[in-house]
Amino acid sequence: MLDRRTLAKAYFTHERLVKHQVDSFNRFLDGGLQRVIDEQGKIELDIPNTYVKLGKIWVEKPIVKEADGSRVPLYPAMARLRNLTYAAPIYLECQVVDEGRELDEEVVEIGMLPVMLKSKACNLNDVDPLAVGEDPLDPGGYFIINGSERALMTLEDLAPNKILLEREERYGEKLEIAKCFSQRAGYRALVVVERNRNNILEVTFPQLPKPIQFVTLMKALGVETDQEIVTMVSSDAEIMKFMLENVEIAEVETKEEAIEYIGRRVAPGQSREYRIQRANQVLDQYFLPHLGVDEDARKAKAFYLARMAEAVFELALGLRMEDDKDHYANKRLKLAGDLMEEIFRVAFLRLIKDVKYQLERAKVRGRPLKMSTAVRSDVLSDRIMHPMATGNWVGGRTGVSQLIDRHNYISVISHLRRVISPLSRSQPHFEARDLHPTQWGRICPSETPEGPNCGLVKNLAQYAEVSVGTDEEEIRNIIFALGVEPIRGG
Amino acid sequence: MTPKRIAGLRFEVLSPQEIRRMSVAKVITPETYDDDGFPIEAGLMDPRLGVIDPGLRCRTCSGKAGECPGHFGHIELAAPVIHVGYAKLIAKLLNATCRECGRILLKDERRDKYIEEIERKRELGQDYEDVVKEVFRLTKGKKCPHCGAEQIEIKFDKPTFFYEGEHRLTPKDIRERLEKISSEDLPAFGMDPRAVRPEWMVLTVLPVPPVTVRPSIILETGQRSEDDLTHKLVDIIRINQRFMENKEAGAPQLILEDLWELLQYHVTTYLDNEVSGIPPARHRSGRPLKTLAQRLKGKEGRFRGSLSGKRVNFSARTVISPDPNLSINEVGVPQIIAEELTVPLYVTERNIDEAREYILRTEHPKANYVIRLDGRRIRVMDTNREELAEKLEPGMIVERQLMDGDIVLFNRQPSLHRMSIMAHYVRVLPYKTFRLNPAVCPPYNADFDGDEMNMHVPQGLEAQAEARSLMAVQEHILSPRFGGPIIGGIHDHISGLYLLTRGEKLFTREEVVSILKPLKITKLPKPKREGLWTGKQIFSSILPEISIEFKAEICQGCEECKKEECEYDAYVVIKKGELLAGTIDEKAVGAFKGIIIDEITRKYGNEETRKFIDNVTHLAIRAIMHTGFSFGISDEDIPEEAISQIHEVIGGAERRVEELIKAYREGNLEPMPGRSIRETLEMKIMQVLGRARDQAGKIASRFLGMENPAVIMAVSGARGSMLNLTQMAACIGQQSVRGERIKRGYTYTNRTLSHFKPGDLGAKARGFIKSSYKEGLTPVEFFFHAMGGREGLVDTAVRTSQSGYLQRRLINALQDLKVEYDGTVREQTSGLLVQFRYGEDGVDPMKSFRGKAVDVKRIINEVLGERA
Repeated sequence: MLDRRTLAKAYFTHERLVKHQVDSFNRFLDGGLQRVIDEQGKIELDIPNTYVKLGKIWVEKPIVKEADGSRVPLYPAMARLRNLTYAAPIYLECQVVDEGRELDEEVVEIGMLPVMLKSKACNLNDVDPLAVGEDPLDPGGYFIINGSERALMTLEDLAPNKILLEREERYGEKLEIAKCFSQRAGYRALVVVERNRNNILEVTFPQLPKPIQFVTLMKALGVETDQEIVTMVSSDAEIMKFMLENVEIAEVETKEEAIEYIGRRVAPGQSREYRIQRANQVLDQYFLPHLGVDEDARKAKAFYLARMAEAVFELALGLRMEDDKDHYANKRLKLAGDLMEEIFRVAFLRLIKDVKYQLERAKVRGRPLKMSTAVRSDVLSDRIMHPMATGNWVGGRTGVSQLIDRHNYISVISHLRRVISPLSRSQPHFEARDLHPTQWGRICPSETPEGPNCGLVKNLAQYAEVSVGTDEEEIRNIIFALGVEPIRGG
Repeated sequence: MTPKRIAGLRFEVLSPQEIRRMSVAKVITPETYDDDGFPIEAGLMDPRLGVIDPGLRCRTCSGKAGECPGHFGHIELAAPVIHVGYAKLIAKLLNATCRECGRILLKDERRDKYIEEIERKRELGQDYEDVVKEVFRLTKGKKCPHCGAEQIEIKFDKPTFFYEGEHRLTPKDIRERLEKISSEDLPAFGMDPRAVRPEWMVLTVLPVPPVTVRPSIILETGQRSEDDLTHKLVDIIRINQRFMENKEAGAPQLILEDLWELLQYHVTTYLDNEVSGIPPARHRSGRPLKTLAQRLKGKEGRFRGSLSGKRVNFSARTVISPDPNLSINEVGVPQIIAEELTVPLYVTERNIDEAREYILRTEHPKANYVIRLDGRRIRVMDTNREELAEKLEPGMIVERQLMDGDIVLFNRQPSLHRMSIMAHYVRVLPYKTFRLNPAVCPPYNADFDGDEMNMHVPQGLEAQAEARSLMAVQEHILSPRFGGPIIGGIHDHISGLYLLTRGEKLFTREEVVSILKPLKITKLPKPKREGLWTGKQIFSSILPEISIEFKAEICQGCEECKKEECEYDAYVVIKKGELLAGTIDEKAVGAFKGIIIDEITRKYGNEETRKFIDNVTHLAIRAIMHTGFSFGISDEDIPEEAISQIHEVIGGAERRVEELIKAYREGNLEPMPGRSIRETLEMKIMQVLGRARDQAGKIASRFLGMENPAVIMAVSGARGSMLNLTQMAACIGQQSVRGERIKRGYTYTNRTLSHFKPGDLGAKARGFIKSSYKEGLTPVEFFFHAMGGREGLVDTAVRTSQSGYLQRRLINALQDLKVEYDGTVREQTSGLLVQFRYGEDGVDPMKSFRGKAVDVKRIINEVLGERA
């Protein structure tokens, strides 16, 4: 028989123990950065027909800008010793369109991006580590910010874009609730469908001050007839009975009425036109944004909403069970790359604002519109460095980046494989702290701190690998090719 | 000066006149110091407000720094601002009174009725909050009964804004309205018109606290760094001045309003910088300022941090470690600590020579300081030693180093009961840890895995005397919790005595002498057999003269007790200080149980008991060293035969579980009363598996035998239990989470782990572990064990914080209760009677017989025993 230890030895190289960190950062470099740029597309100025087209973005290798202006390749050992940040310049292709006139394409350095050790952009890949003063056994997978080694903690989160069923007790009344964290490009919208005691469904989503009736929302989304609404939810006789009750007490008849109703809720005391415009905007931007943010997506949203409604009734009728929020199928891990994408998005938006201001000022003063002068590189860099140096991420999360534990070699690896749950440690949360059977093979059953963080701070199991999602577009193409009909348009 | 008695305290709201009256300086400039570093007149550091720099004198009271308590100043605000702390009350008052005439929105008769009720409740010392609430509820949004004016509801927008409809009310408007409220109406709102006028809750004058309250510190760089309060006051004055200038210059209303709002913001954050709804004022570095409310609030605040608890002198803290050679009322103090801590020696004519000797000494018990008659404290050094000794006279105080025989208080947190702080006698020892006898671990709940403890040296003679007579360890051997001993033998003490006294062990003279060596025993009893003594005889040599009979811990609970003839030697008979039968174990000398200790305390008192416990620990340790005692993995070995028997039992149980599941699936299971069929199944399965584990344990212990060290420890009560043993040697048993078998997991396929078939309810699939720790667990078993273990970890983490908070609340609620000499329980401040007799039976649990007031059986035995 094969000596299994040989296998294990081959498997447990130091690279592979932090592979999830490095892979995630590489994915960010390859796709995440470009995605943020593409979401933006171009920078619109408040001058007609004037905008900046944004093209490709890429990151070079880490360098240090010396006081005399020279740029020298930077190696981690030097960064640690000189309290420097191990960061590489980011370049962006862009082209200013000045009142319809396309100016020359430019490549500008928009800022510095901290680079993860042993990632694609790292200088250590093509040198002998000993030659640059690096420990050959060091696993990498962390950053060096102002000379201190900082790792980004993997965050455990409830899966977005998934319908989760819950029961809740309110004023002695048992309610069934379907929740969905709809996520699109860093924006999270919580959509809740709940059944009240009269079997009336109500929907809550951001920007709505109070829940509105399910039927109203369906009508606003363009499903106007009662029959359509009922059949869209379910063909089960019992559920249809519930749905009929809902349809009967509907507050509105037509799509227009429904939109006006929503308008009154989201923009009270405003003019009618504004109300309607606002209602349409809220429907597209804040309701189930993961299905799309244009009018075309409304039909799909209606279908999705109907699925949520069906699930609620099925739970009420006992045809389905409550979802287990601690089941690992309902969890997603936010790795270093995802976190970097978050801060990069915020930093980049800030940069755009600044560039816009600079360009507009240049235009007013009659100076040429040049990106290289409009970009102040510190604007972006500071917004990236600050969260990484302090651990205070966007959205008020703290402790995301931590100084790595160098007590010993094992503690470094353990730290780089840590998974943190965002649940507050001051509340009991007994169930969330339990070791869940679905953690088998994914999370170590033994390693968790004692004390207030018990069961909330976890570590990946030795053999665990983190899989990543696939591009939705790809799957969509395949299933449409197989003959599935798309739900699009009104 | 003759001492005066404080009759009472009353809290009032500062009126503007009061603020001006107590002010010694009007502050008008935001500057603090001039270029030469001298405080600016009429500035925030005005010399009339008190002194903090040494050497200067206060311009108001001419006291030096340290003597001058500081004096208040004041700022005349250019426009009134709301006091955040009263904003909510202001809102309530505005809504409860007429917007036109300022009268309460109640008819006079009804108002008087409520005033009367409040007055009555106040006199009875009862809470009248509910009545006030009722008044505020009844007065909401009506027509004024006095002038008939229509009322508009005033909306309160946190923290300090008020709207009447859409119209925003300025603090000035509010103050005017509050002024209109009649003093006659105020008692209906629970307010005393002599103490509070509502308009005082809108500030027109701001008191400036004395500089002593907000001292500036001088950094190493020589720069002055001001206190947060000073910073905030500077902001207020600056805006105040700007406001005044603008107003005089006739600036547009818009600008004035902005400044007014800014002034409101600064005053609000000056009072409380954590008000929700407005951003906290920050220091230049971005740190939020610590203003008035922050000084008082929270754990580190004035109340909890500086008044209820504070840091103290004459204390020490270090790691603890065991020393069985100390008495239980001693503590080993490291030499370096003893050299730092001091005990005051009040010099009189009688002890002046002794005091002088301490001063002249250059080694350990020497004097560290001499306090002269003028109160100056002088360090004793080589240079002034002779001189100080010379000048020593009665009335001075010599602070001498801690030495053997001094009394100190010893404490381990959390101090949950009074035994958490006990008085010990000092033994100065080398090395750096506090040493204590392991027998006093239970009251402190201490162990030696890195625990640290605190020591305090009482300074006054009264304190020392109280410590000696009330707090000494021996005074606390009996616990006031259950009336039994809380200090006694632990671990090896118990297994040692068990080994010594069990059966008829015989020892030669040499052996007896070596065991009794550390004790002060001068005479040996007559040998039981020629030249040989039994272990029971050896133990008897430390027993005082008591007579007692009881069942030992190892008692098997036979249906009929054979008393002296017990085949397990589990019936203890002591007559006149002689152990005649039975084995000494936890029940006899253990902490919490120790019947012998209990008996000795009642008959001979604390001192004798202390000696007995000291003797027990010494004797037991010698005894256990005589035979030697160890425990290893091989002690869990059980023969093949046992293993196959255990497997058979467990296999049978598993089959039985399968049968139960089959019956459940076929619907043949009868539900138990009050349970569903599913619950019945679960209970039955738990029962079957629990029984199987116990049986496996029985088999294992049968094969291990009574000589096995683990068995000895378990049965004598020294450490561990038979359950621990079962789990080590035979079978770990069912793992549970929140009292149920493991049921969570892959819910979507209805199984715990993907290793099982969907819907598997069997023992294995739900967390039954048939392996023992010795054998080792299968991966699935290990995982389920980790699940059960996690629950325990989470529980301890969550419980500790919760119980700490519960304790705090209990103490806060009960701290003023006292048992008076007449046996009643009264509230200290008001003399309120809480119980006519303490505990309703007047029994002091510490002096009770394990909770009972009288132990009739014991009295009978005592009386009859003496006659026999």
